[in-house]
Amino acid sequence: MKAERDREIKGSRDQVPGWADPKSARVTFDQWLDLFDRVPDELIERYHYYGNGEAWSKYLFPPQTFSIYGARHLRRLKFDNSLAALRMWGFVQNETERLFRARQTGRRVIATMGDLGAVPVIVNSFPGCVAFYPDCIWWTPFVMESRVLFDAAAELGIGDATCFSRAALGAFSKHSYFPDPDLVIASTGASCDDYSGVEQLVESFAPDMLWVEEPLRGECRMSNDECRMGGASERQALIEFLKREYERVVERMEKLTGHAITEVELREGVRRANRVRNLVARLRDLAFRHAALAALEMMVVEFGNLHYYSDMGEWTAVLEHLLGTAGGRAREGERVLPEDALRVVWVTPPADPLLLTYVEDAGARVMGTEYVINQALEIMDESKPPLEAIAESFMAASLIGTSGQRAKSVIRQARERQAEGVIISGILGGSHCAMETRLISDIVKQELDLPALEFDVAPASNEIGRQLQTRIDAFLEVLRSRR
Amino acid sequence: MKDLLTPRERFGLLVIDEPQDRVPVFPLVTAHAARLAGIPVREYYTAGAAMARCQLVAQETYGIDFISFFSEVGLVAEALGSQFDYPEDDLPLLTRPKWTDLTRLDDRVVGPLTDGRLRVYIDAVTYAYEARGDTVPILAYVPAPFTTAQQLVDQEAFLLGLLTEPERVKELLAYATRSIVRFCRAIIGAGGLPILVDPLASGSVISAEHYREFALPSEAEVIRYLHRYDLDVVLHICGDTRTTIAMMPETGADLLSIDRVDVAGAIAGAGQACRIIGNYDTSAILLSDPKTIEREVAEMTTAGKNCPKGFVAATGCEVPVDTPPENVRAFVRSARQVGFNPDYGRRRRA
Repeated sequence: MKAERDREIKGSRDQVPGWADPKSARVTFDQWLDLFDRVPDELIERYHYYGNGEAWSKYLFPPQTFSIYGARHLRRLKFDNSLAALRMWGFVQNETERLFRARQTGRRVIATMGDLGAVPVIVNSFPGCVAFYPDCIWWTPFVMESRVLFDAAAELGIGDATCFSRAALGAFSKHSYFPDPDLVIASTGASCDDYSGVEQLVESFAPDMLWVEEPLRGECRMSNDECRMGGASERQALIEFLKREYERVVERMEKLTGHAITEVELREGVRRANRVRNLVARLRDLAFRHAALAALEMMVVEFGNLHYYSDMGEWTAVLEHLLGTAGGRAREGERVLPEDALRVVWVTPPADPLLLTYVEDAGARVMGTEYVINQALEIMDESKPPLEAIAESFMAASLIGTSGQRAKSVIRQARERQAEGVIISGILGGSHCAMETRLISDIVKQELDLPALEFDVAPASNEIGRQLQTRIDAFLEVLRSRR
Repeated sequence: MKDLLTPRERFGLLVIDEPQDRVPVFPLVTAHAARLAGIPVREYYTAGAAMARCQLVAQETYGIDFISFFSEVGLVAEALGSQFDYPEDDLPLLTRPKWTDLTRLDDRVVGPLTDGRLRVYIDAVTYAYEARGDTVPILAYVPAPFTTAQQLVDQEAFLLGLLTEPERVKELLAYATRSIVRFCRAIIGAGGLPILVDPLASGSVISAEHYREFALPSEAEVIRYLHRYDLDVVLHICGDTRTTIAMMPETGADLLSIDRVDVAGAIAGAGQACRIIGNYDTSAILLSDPKTIEREVAEMTTAGKNCPKGFVAATGCEVPVDTPPENVRAFVRSARQVGFNPDYGRRRRA
């Protein structure tokens, strides 16, 4: 039995000279300060981004470093106590500086917006180009416990009645969260309408902007037989449409870089992206089945599939390190959360990461996620022409279809992992969520007879509101009572 | 003129070699903040919450780009056992150093939450960080080993020891370093950026040779520790550092805070390696008039903007306690105007 389990769990724990991971646990901010005392200098020197030996490219630093530079929320979170997780956090928190260093070292910096996962596969296939999503800035106000970016967005016309993603507009206006991009590739169409509004306002800050249309993936209303035929051709038509959109991306990138990209380069880009997606798929399995990693780290891991935190090579190495740690834990039966924790599926990424810490502290663990980035988790078919493969994988996108389709993904995961409840965290002011949250909740309750908790994430703060705490506690109590 | 960036955003760009919307402005307001807030100076340096509130008032009133905590350089020595007097409305005074000579050391290391007034700083950092840490960098001055050593041992004996007992001096410096590092760690944990301050290592006190042999290595050791956390380290040495300015980058400091050195000379000596912070005359800010201050700060800022690694318009040392507020305002106004960067954020067409 054990041998069988070992075969399933790939990856092995890295033997890092001068360091041995303590017994798996989630630790506080202060506890990481103690742990960091044990990290030898040689280890800090070991990890660099962009394969660069410069002092500025080191990133193995503890949460305290980033807290000093304003990431105040880190003081309230709980972190995995492994070296791999420390490395991951250091790498991710360092991204603003990394983007500026990209520019300083002659790389082209391309902002990709809206599609969450597809366009960077193309951009990163071009030599010397780095793609990033300003969309991910939506976490910044929460991590810093700050209104600065929301206020900046408000001055430009988007106030509190809009999704937290408006922080991206504030960041563009500041020119200090990432370098002014060489090109902005903004996806719109069948997507978040609030964010399309943000993108339109970003245009005034963009030196060059390319709009990409995302098609709607409709529900087939024909009979089963007809659907199989007509649905298939409809799907193929959408893939062809997307492919043409991506050809426009390629053209614009070629114009920008002066580099005529080859099919081999694009295939290699797809292959490298798939490598990341495969690693994340394995990590999801280890985290969700074996509790080898906690929800907070896993959210960071999953979102790495969007743009690899601006250094694909190093992010891949970080994931391999994490996989080694998680795989080793699973083999040895070590868990970061109790075996009897309540099993929940989480829908929509919480803008406030403290919610994940709180829910886990309250006795639950996340066994599945629908973080609106299905398209970035999908493995691309490497036997197909690269743009077609990218387009095909994008057809799995969370936000281009109906709420019912999203709900199906939630239901599938809940069934597969025997979830006991579903948590849906909406976005205060986000019109998309206002429409969708209740629908998903109703479908889940109807299909699975599982309790679902819906709430809107409150604006950035240093704590979770008492009322929401009570609702979460009560929800988990209901789950407990159903056992 | 309304700022585009917060002080934290501005500092963030400075330390990664990116242009800012304007030069950061940093008159070193320390105990003067107590006067501004209308409380006795002793209350300022003995109660963390009071110290923080005063600094928050000063930052808000003047529009300074940093919140900085400092009272005097004996802080770590006091925590290790040196004795001080605490006048009602003035800064602490060393009354009896821990040792009269260099003959013996103990194995003590400070407890940042229990010894002396270290806790005052930690509390102040914690308070200010919670209040304004998202928008303003929170700095805490930490006396360097060389300066601390001169508060632990009778200063004359110490300076004589540089010549007669260099090994014992180095042992004392190592002793001080252990406690300083411990204190820095606590500041880091509270959300503050430690600034290393070493006024008794200036050229006004020791020779360049002694600086290289004693002060520089001990500064470098603390800076190495801070670099473990990837912190951008400010080394502040007030007084005359003309003979040592070119050596100061060897400490590993990322920013040099200077006093009685010509800005152009400091840039020539260290501006390729470090950002320069400086250096308006503190007597002038106390005694001069706003118009003169504006003119002189404009000249300083114009010169400082030529620093390849970046510049912070600051005073050379602490703003004296009784400085008229209108003089500090004149300093800030002028530095902001002259330090404005009209090219910041201009669209770059590909």
